[in-house]
Amino acid sequence: MNDKFQWLRARQIANETQNHVIDEYLAGHIGRRGLLRHGSVFGLSAAVMGGLIGAPLREARAGTPGSTVRVAIVTPTGAINPVTVADIGGLVLLQQTGEFLIIDDPDLMLKPCLATSWSANKDGTVWTFKIRQGVKFISGKMLTADDVVYSIARLADPKQGSNALSAFKGVLDPTGVKKVDDHTVEFHLDAPNGNFPYLVSSDNYNAIIVPAGSDAGAYQKTFDGTGPFKLDTFTAGQGATFVPNPDYWGPKALPAHTQLTFFADQQSAVLALQGGQVDVIQQIAVQGAQGLINNPQVSIINIKASTHRQVHMRTDVAPFTDKRVRQAMALTLDRPAIVKGLFRGLADLGNDSPFAPVFPSTDKSVPQRAMDIDKAKGLMAAAGLSGGTEVTLTTEQLQEIPDYAVLIQNAAAQIGIKINLKIETSDAYYGQATYGNSDWLDSQMGITDYGHRGVPNVFLSAPLLSTGTWNSAHFKNPDYDSLVASYTASTDLSVQRATAGKIQTLLLDETPIIFGYFYNYLAATAPNVTGVKVNAISQVFLAGASVG
Amino acid sequence: MGRQLANLLAKRLSISLLTLLLLSVLVFAGGQLLPGNVGRAILGPLADAASVAALNHKLGTDLPVPVMYWRWISHFVTGDFGTSYSFQLPVAPFIGHALFNSLKLAGVAFVIVVPLSIFGGVYAAMHARSWIDKVISISGLSMTVIPEFVSSIAFILIFGVWLNWLPVSATAPAGAGPLVQVYHLILPSMPLVFILFGYIARMARAGTVEALDSDYTRTAVLKGLTWRVVIFRHVLRNALLPTITVVATQLGYLVGGLVVVESLFRYQGIGSLILTAARGKDFPMLEAGILTVGAIYVLATVGADVLYTVLNPRLRGGGR
Repeated sequence: MNDKFQWLRARQIANETQNHVIDEYLAGHIGRRGLLRHGSVFGLSAAVMGGLIGAPLREARAGTPGSTVRVAIVTPTGAINPVTVADIGGLVLLQQTGEFLIIDDPDLMLKPCLATSWSANKDGTVWTFKIRQGVKFISGKMLTADDVVYSIARLADPKQGSNALSAFKGVLDPTGVKKVDDHTVEFHLDAPNGNFPYLVSSDNYNAIIVPAGSDAGAYQKTFDGTGPFKLDTFTAGQGATFVPNPDYWGPKALPAHTQLTFFADQQSAVLALQGGQVDVIQQIAVQGAQGLINNPQVSIINIKASTHRQVHMRTDVAPFTDKRVRQAMALTLDRPAIVKGLFRGLADLGNDSPFAPVFPSTDKSVPQRAMDIDKAKGLMAAAGLSGGTEVTLTTEQLQEIPDYAVLIQNAAAQIGIKINLKIETSDAYYGQATYGNSDWLDSQMGITDYGHRGVPNVFLSAPLLSTGTWNSAHFKNPDYDSLVASYTASTDLSVQRATAGKIQTLLLDETPIIFGYFYNYLAATAPNVTGVKVNAISQVFLAGASVG
Repeated sequence: MGRQLANLLAKRLSISLLTLLLLSVLVFAGGQLLPGNVGRAILGPLADAASVAALNHKLGTDLPVPVMYWRWISHFVTGDFGTSYSFQLPVAPFIGHALFNSLKLAGVAFVIVVPLSIFGGVYAAMHARSWIDKVISISGLSMTVIPEFVSSIAFILIFGVWLNWLPVSATAPAGAGPLVQVYHLILPSMPLVFILFGYIARMARAGTVEALDSDYTRTAVLKGLTWRVVIFRHVLRNALLPTITVVATQLGYLVGGLVVVESLFRYQGIGSLILTAARGKDFPMLEAGILTVGAIYVLATVGADVLYTVLNPRLRGGGR
């Protein structure tokens, strides 16, 4: 500690949970990054944490003002409605003029936005948020707690057709959102949750704050939010343009104009960047963008993420009823080679649990599973399958997934597992998305795409809990269920990490799902573009951007 | 001739209306075979089932199929195209805008390819079996078999990225004048010119070769008409009749079938509108889009028939 005064002062401001995070840091249980990330969850302010680590946490804004920034984004699949948006084209539009209580930065550190501070009671069941004062909606109304209650409660309401319901279900009921005073809101949770702030952060891309009583269906006419930009024009199917919001509460936006243009596919966006007709591409996949990744005329923004594919094996259908067969399957994969081949190395290795290396709570001391064909053959023999077996792997035609399926097919052949591939459109694969009506949930073996989350909670629950609604592996394990319950409830990083270690070990042993890799989020800009900030949710923050 | 033409038109148009009605039923019924539903298409596979049900109820897409169809068609015949399920906006402006765009692109491609290919075909016929004939025929045929996604990317890379002569986006900046808009449409027209040139040129060549060999041409030459009069008054008028039919049937494709080109050049035409609507199970949009393209096919075919009748002396004039 470089300045005793700093931490004494921090102690005075901090509540009990926050003090515990400071203890963890001082005891050396967590490092600087751990302090920043975990402290931010419990509402330790940047100023306090900056004082503790002896470095100011300030955002530099260097570029020249007045540019026009042209961004290629994916065509939104539907109306720009904060309650129903479920695609990366729609969510990036929401976030241009709308703001969240909290911003989840690319490094997974929570940063105050419309909430100035937040804190939990001791068991993590009630979270109190202080709402920023002096914030004006573009329509002129001042922001109060009523707007926050309205915006969040309707997302948790099963009657609203809300896309965010699956995130809030079992965590927050609409009646649990309570106004305390004009600038304080309490969230009374259904169960303790140590990572609740992520659910009202930019991670939950539907959770922008809109004026109380406003009609979600009419949002696309006004884009009424509190952000650094306001809507200039919006043409469905084509694009939207924005200009700075003169009444913005924070630093004014640098660009004079931003143009977000819709592209139906990656290839045309890549060509437009190469042809000089856009300055930024919201997101690129390695497949089909090799030309950009190798091009010195293009800057790639590369962020670690928890985006991944789950290879499920039905634990209730032979031959995968025997965990030794599942383990053997997982042991055939040469993960470093897969990451190199499919992603040019721009991905982390997966260790057959949702704990991606990017999460602070991941226990990195759990040994990485590596290819071991002899051991796999031994396990097959022990399971009575030394003569081999045959399974069907069903999956969707999406990005690298068909290639991954072929790699798995080849790997499995080495131990006598013959895999028949069934590759179909995403629509056909997901079907009705309920058990009995979906190849995703019913297939013997399959590969499913999962987008980035700032915390592993959703990955731990829906695809793996006995009661999970996306449990393709039909995995049912009471020990696992109770470990996840205690992980979720825990407000203490060291406890979270200890529990994570147990979950990781259990899943390595059971292997209901192979997590082969977690791949990086990539965006591209022209070389003369500065100040564009993106995160792995696919949000693009342009307030500090300049061109030229 | 007038009454005969009117009869023909009336007959053709009533059959066309029936065709379009059947088409609308097929699209609605066919769409039901696709997996998923509107709410699921909007909210994605990971959304909670309760949310999907609530959204379908709000949109009215949880009703029985015949009821949904009746609701749609009873409004459609009165000129009300309805509201898009996906965009929650009226369908008509989408169709109008996309149709206008498609017509512009088709128009530019048409203006380039029709004179070029007819000239090429006639020129080849007049120099039949010479090297120039072979060059036109073989290159035309080769260009036709190159898929649009291949030629489009090649054109974009060569003219848009390397040489930087033409813009790679078909959409001109907002407020651009007609000339700038045409400038943006040149590059996207080129793959279409590639596809159509060989086809139309071959038809024109075959017709011209046949006409040049005919008795009436020999007569015309022998009675001492100038070469120019022989070609324009006797040869071309007969030679180009089949070509006109071919060109007319390609109009529907040029307006409604350019999904690949529209997507690569980022152009909001009716082809990509239909594709988006089909993906989102957005029936009001899908029906309106397909019926618009269907109507264009039908009108182009009827128009070709009429033109054929007007131009063909054998189908003109009273009884037979």
